[in-house]
Amino acid sequence: MAVRTEVEPYRADWKRGRVASWITTVDHKRIGILYIATSLVFFGLGGILALLMRAQLATPEEHFVTKDSYDQLFTMHGTTMIFLVIVPILAGFGNFLVPLMIGARDMAFPRLNAFSYWMFLLGGIVLYSSWVSNGGAPKAGWTSYTPLSTDAYTPSNGQDLWILSLHILTISSLAGAVNFIATIVNMRAPGMSWLRMPLFVWAILTYAAMLVLVLPALSAGLTLLLLDRQVGTHFFIPDKGGSTLLWQHVFWFFGHPEVYIMILPAMGMISEIIPVFARKPIFGYKAVAFSTAGIAFVSMLVWAHHMFAVGLPWGLQVFFMLSSMAVAVPTGVKIFNWLATTWRGNLIFDTPMLFALGFVGVFTMGGLSGIFLAAFPVDWQLTDTYYVVAHFHYVLFGGSMFGIFAGLHYWWPKMFGRMLDERLGKWTFWLLLIGFNVTFFPQHMLGLLGMPRRIYTYSHGGLWEWYNLASTIGSGIMGIAILVFIANVIRTSRVGTRAGNDPWLADTLEWFAPSPPPPENFDRPLPYVTSARPLRDLRLRLKEREVGAGA
Amino acid sequence: MRRSFLALVAVLSLALLSATTAVAGNGGFAPVDPASPNASRINDAYWLIFGFTAAIFVLVEGALIWFVIRYRRRGRPRDAEGLQIHGSTRLEIMWTVVPVVILAAIAAFVFYKLPGIKDVPEARAGESLTVKVHAQQFYWQFQYPDGQISIDRMVVPVGAVVRLEVTSGDVAHSWWIPRLGGKIDAIPGRTNTTWFKGEREGVYSGQCAEFCGLQHAAMRADVAVVSRAAYEEFLATHGPGSREVAKETFSGTCAKCHGLAGQGYIGPKIAGSATLAQPTALAALLRNGGVQMPAVGKDWSDQQLRATMAYLRSRFGGG
Repeated sequence: MAVRTEVEPYRADWKRGRVASWITTVDHKRIGILYIATSLVFFGLGGILALLMRAQLATPEEHFVTKDSYDQLFTMHGTTMIFLVIVPILAGFGNFLVPLMIGARDMAFPRLNAFSYWMFLLGGIVLYSSWVSNGGAPKAGWTSYTPLSTDAYTPSNGQDLWILSLHILTISSLAGAVNFIATIVNMRAPGMSWLRMPLFVWAILTYAAMLVLVLPALSAGLTLLLLDRQVGTHFFIPDKGGSTLLWQHVFWFFGHPEVYIMILPAMGMISEIIPVFARKPIFGYKAVAFSTAGIAFVSMLVWAHHMFAVGLPWGLQVFFMLSSMAVAVPTGVKIFNWLATTWRGNLIFDTPMLFALGFVGVFTMGGLSGIFLAAFPVDWQLTDTYYVVAHFHYVLFGGSMFGIFAGLHYWWPKMFGRMLDERLGKWTFWLLLIGFNVTFFPQHMLGLLGMPRRIYTYSHGGLWEWYNLASTIGSGIMGIAILVFIANVIRTSRVGTRAGNDPWLADTLEWFAPSPPPPENFDRPLPYVTSARPLRDLRLRLKEREVGAGA
Repeated sequence: MRRSFLALVAVLSLALLSATTAVAGNGGFAPVDPASPNASRINDAYWLIFGFTAAIFVLVEGALIWFVIRYRRRGRPRDAEGLQIHGSTRLEIMWTVVPVVILAAIAAFVFYKLPGIKDVPEARAGESLTVKVHAQQFYWQFQYPDGQISIDRMVVPVGAVVRLEVTSGDVAHSWWIPRLGGKIDAIPGRTNTTWFKGEREGVYSGQCAEFCGLQHAAMRADVAVVSRAAYEEFLATHGPGSREVAKETFSGTCAKCHGLAGQGYIGPKIAGSATLAQPTALAALLRNGGVQMPAVGKDWSDQQLRATMAYLRSRFGGG
């Protein structure tokens, strides 16, 4: 058994009044924790916005919020969850875990790393400052389609702050991405060849590469939109010779890969967690790693499936239908490999495993509903309805967020030195699983029954009322689940069991370090890495030595 | 264990079957009951995909639940290892190739149905017409072949092939009557086309499907499929300068923000407004918009503008 080392948990720093040590830190673990904590605060805010929307839609002809506020709510909810929650929290996990997993002392560029975090926080503050700006928060949707988002139709400053905030966040993500690539390529422990890297590191490498490839497109689009709004150019204004579709192409060239940017690292976490709790190696390591790269590649070629109703030439529609369907193949490979990993395992249902298996179950639904959307004539019925809302929440909440919750429960002991409570963790999982399905499953039906997205109210009569009410009730259950999670965090911060180095008997190098790891991470020389599961190798060697010594 | 798996598959299939039967009354498990040939062909494609995906769903979720039950820890120690296998090339190839084959089947079926969905069918003269659909914040204006106009409610003869030319006067909107086929966006600077054929008389409702601003939710549209005689009667009363069109213009365009009685809502009260007495100012307001008011009348003909102004004055006074 590996030596257990006790380290003072991080919280102690706060208690000793050392706030400044967090503000000036360039330690990848603290930056990771700052990222995660900040993202979770924004997750709470974005969740409250969602609950307000569901309250407004609970019953027909409701006047809980005004039309204008409703438009602000869905714009801010979408922008928050994508740019301030999922992408940065994954950066947070990447920051905390990548150096530990590859046996490095820190990221390649620690100060650039701190810069990324502070830019992220600044971007978030700029976006939220729009609530008190002239005309209120942005209200053209997170996609900000032109010409609605140009100054002629949306003169309020919230839209400008939206652009500014996204510009800042783009810089943050780009700096972070470059840092990840440099770290992973150059700083792996002795013996850790590409095919011995943890699958989460593969996922973060892909995530970073995709960010580098697509963020410049978003930045360019944002700059053109800003010029149209503030300088009087006409890039997106058709009366003056601009093109409204140009924005849609640029936005989705970024926006669709963004979906995979948000799901691949979550998939990476699942690929770390399922083997540990099945007491097995991942089934088909190479297939899982290469399917990550495969998804990333194909995802750059599918963007116009968001635009099947704009009247594209037939050849393009056919191309984008086939490329979108092609994404299903590597995605299916991952799902089958995860299932095969549980086959003949010794399955331990601790909270991280429950979330990981929940991910497989729920994400499958999101993947399959995507096939309907890829078939463009069918998409003409489904696009811009609640069916799409259901689909992408199955992918981004049921997928990314379930993965993130699995990761939070799994790596929490490594981050803070204390275990989360299992009983509360299981409550969180079951409430979230039930609440999630009650909220989003009926939205498939709403879409098929003709309910478009982004309408602030609807008329009496028919099934719309029942499905909307169910959806609102489900969102309340999810709210309770999040409260249970918060209670768990608060409770265990004082009384949680000390974790020791390796509470889960895991496979990867981060569990070789003490919990929480001290500055520069490892208090002992690393073992030479001879497989993708260095810690299991170490455990086996120690056991052999014990047996040898006993004999 | 195999028996419990079979029981599970049976339960899941039953659930699926009950879901499928619910479709008879359509609880939202398929696009709404089609009333146009293109819409029915889309539904055929939907059902084919539904069949394949439902089977994969049952397979994956069934296997997941089966493995969870079958391979749970029970009394085994936490560190007891499962079977240490690292993969199987044969399986990897299988679950790569089978999905490719399924997707190819789906794509082939979609291509087979495609011409019947996208191509406007040949029809004899007199059994086809083209309606121009013009979208603006926050109403739909329809223009018929001989210049007649209606707002928010399109009237077409039963059995006729209706070709639509969809345009926008301001931001992006999306034309969608679920029972008559899929969406087509109304995008400024472009003319998009689609078609439908109302097979049965009736009123089919829908609404704008692309977020277009504050009153997006109020941008609803009806298509009334009526007898040939009723259609002729409709055309006779909907000349561009007619009072009928002016009335529809008011209720579709003005009333959504100023109230059906002109009492004021998002926009100010119309009844008794001083602007009504100033024809030039009123015309300018309708053509160019106001503080928050969209330029609702920017694409109206002079006839429609005059008729609307006359209607407003006669109804709300102001000289």
